Amino acid sequence: MAEDMSIESYLAQGGVLTNPTNVPPRYRAELMKLMTTFVDSELAGAAGFADVINAGPGIKERIAAAKIVLEKTDNADRVLKIMGEFGVDGDRYASHHPWTARLGRDADIGASRTEHDMRLAVFNYPLEGWSDAVVMNLLMGRAVAVQMAEFSMVSYQPLAEAFRAVAPVEARHAELAAEGVTKLAESGDTAALQASVDYWWPRVAASFGAADSTKADSLKAMGLRKSTNAELKTRWEAETKSVLDGLGLKAA
Amino acid sequence: MARFHDLEVTDIHKTIRDAVVVTLKPVNGAAEEFDFTQGQYLTFRQDFDGDELRRSYSICAGKDEGILQVGIKRVDGGAFSTWANEDLNVGDTLQAMPPMGGFFTALDAGNEKNYLGFAGGSGITPVLSILKTTLATEPDSTFTLVYANKGVNTIMFREELEDLKNIYMGRFNVIHVLETDAQEIDLFTGLVTEEKCAQLFATGWIDITSVDTAFICGPEPMMLGIAAALRTGGLDDSQIKFELFASSQPGRAKKRAVSTDAASAANQATAVITLDGSTQTIETPKDISILDAAIGNKMDAPYACKAGVCSTCRCRVIEGEVDMVANHALEDYEVEKGYVLSCQSYPVTDNVVVDFDQ
Repeated sequence: MAEDMSIESYLAQGGVLTNPTNVPPRYRAELMKLMTTFVDSELAGAAGFADVINAGPGIKERIAAAKIVLEKTDNADRVLKIMGEFGVDGDRYASHHPWTARLGRDADIGASRTEHDMRLAVFNYPLEGWSDAVVMNLLMGRAVAVQMAEFSMVSYQPLAEAFRAVAPVEARHAELAAEGVTKLAESGDTAALQASVDYWWPRVAASFGAADSTKADSLKAMGLRKSTNAELKTRWEAETKSVLDGLGLKAA
Repeated sequence: MARFHDLEVTDIHKTIRDAVVVTLKPVNGAAEEFDFTQGQYLTFRQDFDGDELRRSYSICAGKDEGILQVGIKRVDGGAFSTWANEDLNVGDTLQAMPPMGGFFTALDAGNEKNYLGFAGGSGITPVLSILKTTLATEPDSTFTLVYANKGVNTIMFREELEDLKNIYMGRFNVIHVLETDAQEIDLFTGLVTEEKCAQLFATGWIDITSVDTAFICGPEPMMLGIAAALRTGGLDDSQIKFELFASSQPGRAKKRAVSTDAASAANQATAVITLDGSTQTIETPKDISILDAAIGNKMDAPYACKAGVCSTCRCRVIEGEVDMVANHALEDYEVEKGYVLSCQSYPVTDNVVVDFDQ
């Protein structure tokens, strides 16, 4: 029973960690990065979408948009609480970034982050009106579904549990977006919807990270990843293409 | 950010030769903060010859018992656990952060569930809290405990577990697996490995198909073996709850070699330190780390390991230059942005400006 095993080999064999006291430093850095990326993306996504609520064509749409803003903020809070156990001051964290800040529509930043936060690059682009926001939400919602399925298996148990709770909520957001796009497609302006798909497709695709990431193996050994960036992206492309097909739209 | 609170030791007793059960009472109106959930732990801090140590121990009381109690087993060479076992007295004050951890599932009086717990040695503490709370809260649920120990005389809470068996007859069952002491049933001797679990399932001692949730707390190899057996038995990850307290603790920061001109005025620096929104300007020798300088000036700077591994003490250098002697935690991009580990960073320039809030 008292046999010694290093945390590294424990993790490599599929072990899970349960609290900050037994998290090794490199693991901590990658885990913090994963958590800040999620929190920053949710907060930035919610802040951007909040501005769109009033653009909703009807009361149902506005309720759906407001619900999404509320729930994404709530999802950020769940993970922020876990970061709190690592010494992060959650209140300070949530209020010291300008979450509504966006770059220009044509900014070319690839998959890079801005100076100030860890949000996924895609959340640095501004939404242009209701239908553009709904399309972005559909494409990104599908991407989040793929990411959540992956990260629900991370080796840090409290985070895996948070993601398992978040996954169905985010899945519902993608459904709401699909319903929204269906409604917009019925009312006619397919060209505008297609233009939004063309704009957002490569940007959402880039959020899966570089295909040649050198970190994949070490992340896998730490139990923080199971699939590679490329595998996740391929999964998203296949699933989202069929959703778009059903809506009479084409993947870019 | 979690803060430390004072707790008064109201009772202390041995459960085995080298483990104590400490009962604590929050003082200064902090009682609400210590309203725990079964299976959570407390992080304590204590000074040892000027060095502050932080250690986490699980709560062993049930939620319905109305007391706050932790079990502390003495670890060879462990400063905190030895001190708690030998020098701690009723009436003393301990400092701890509010309860943390997610080693529990939500309970409901209407549940009819079958729980399975695995504990290795002192890993019993959170599992005891869980099983006591569960049996009291869910009258129609059952709990089976597999408890691994070296021998009979190292079984923590042995009598209390026997009492619980009598109180909850038919709903609570304990299987003691002992490494060195022979038992009537061969299966109950040895280590709790994947094979041992598979045998317990196959021979009907445990009906794995009826288990709703399993809790495991013990050393790493034991957790891996049990988890593998549970997965083979049909449980998925959301049904398996882990709690791991690794025995290895990060090493202590060594005092930096002080240059011979340490006493000269040239060794002094002015540090401007921002923390929690307020800024202090302090004079500090260059052989004192930024973190120690801040703490020495009554600033409640965040830190945990003081060994450059945890990054809790991270701050950002706004002006001036510091020498970071060790960095096992920050990534290159963070260092590029001016982040340093304050416990490992010493002023180089006569003026440095750092910010813990960024």
